[in-house]
Amino acid sequence: MTTGKTVNLQPPPATENKADEPEAMGKTATHRKAEVRLGREVQARIGQQLRGMYDDVVNQGVPKHIDDLVRRLSDQDDGVA
Amino acid sequence: MKLDPAIRDQVLATVPSLRAFAISLSGNVDRADDLVQETLLRALAHIDSFQPGTNMPAWLFTILRNLFRSEYRKRRREVEDADGRFAETLKSHPEQTGRVEFNEFRAALAKLPSDQREALILVGASGFSYEDAAAICGCAVGTIKSRVNRARTRLSDLLAIDNVDDFGPDRATRAVLAGGGRN
Repeated sequence: MTTGKTVNLQPPPATENKADEPEAMGKTATHRKAEVRLGREVQARIGQQLRGMYDDVVNQGVPKHIDDLVRRLSDQDDGVA
Repeated sequence: MKLDPAIRDQVLATVPSLRAFAISLSGNVDRADDLVQETLLRALAHIDSFQPGTNMPAWLFTILRNLFRSEYRKRRREVEDADGRFAETLKSHPEQTGRVEFNEFRAALAKLPSDQREALILVGASGFSYEDAAAICGCAVGTIKSRVNRARTRLSDLLAIDNVDDFGPDRATRAVLAGGGRN
């Protein structure tokens, strides 16, 4: 798994957090700042889980019936009926 | 006119990721494969509207998402049910550090609103840029960022991860119970 993708998983700047998030309410700025820092590790972990699940399907490759379909349609004159 | 083999290969190369996305949207492997098949039929029938050199994955993902959304409106009840099945449809990943942990993760992911889950998967798993994800979903880049942020926050919340070393099932279970009262 490439480490390059981790870039996408950095937590967003605090300013982009929406006020309607339940946990944004009733917390001090200091508390929140500490959470942002800790959040990086948490988000990396979530990203890892997410990609693991997704790649599980990706690694199954192209199912034969789909491969056949694409090749058959690609060889047809004038595309698809 | 026969399809350029290079284009055909680009289509085929996108299929595995397209399937993963379809499963994440529909929550059901069989339906996902129907969705992928329908997407490919449409794409190949309109291959002239694809500009060589542009982003093939983004083009196919857009078609699939639009198909899913138009079906969603027609079959709303059935799709809502799919949310509940989502967690059960994917096999666990052999490299996961813990099976229980992974199951908790899938259950939490299934609880996200579908537009947030979709945005998170496009950016965090499919590897699309925010710009591409926005184009696929037909919305502003800021909307995608906001959905991804909310999805991540909600996931952390559901899993109650306030420390990486404290990622265990007990805390996650408590979080799910605590989260239930808020909905």
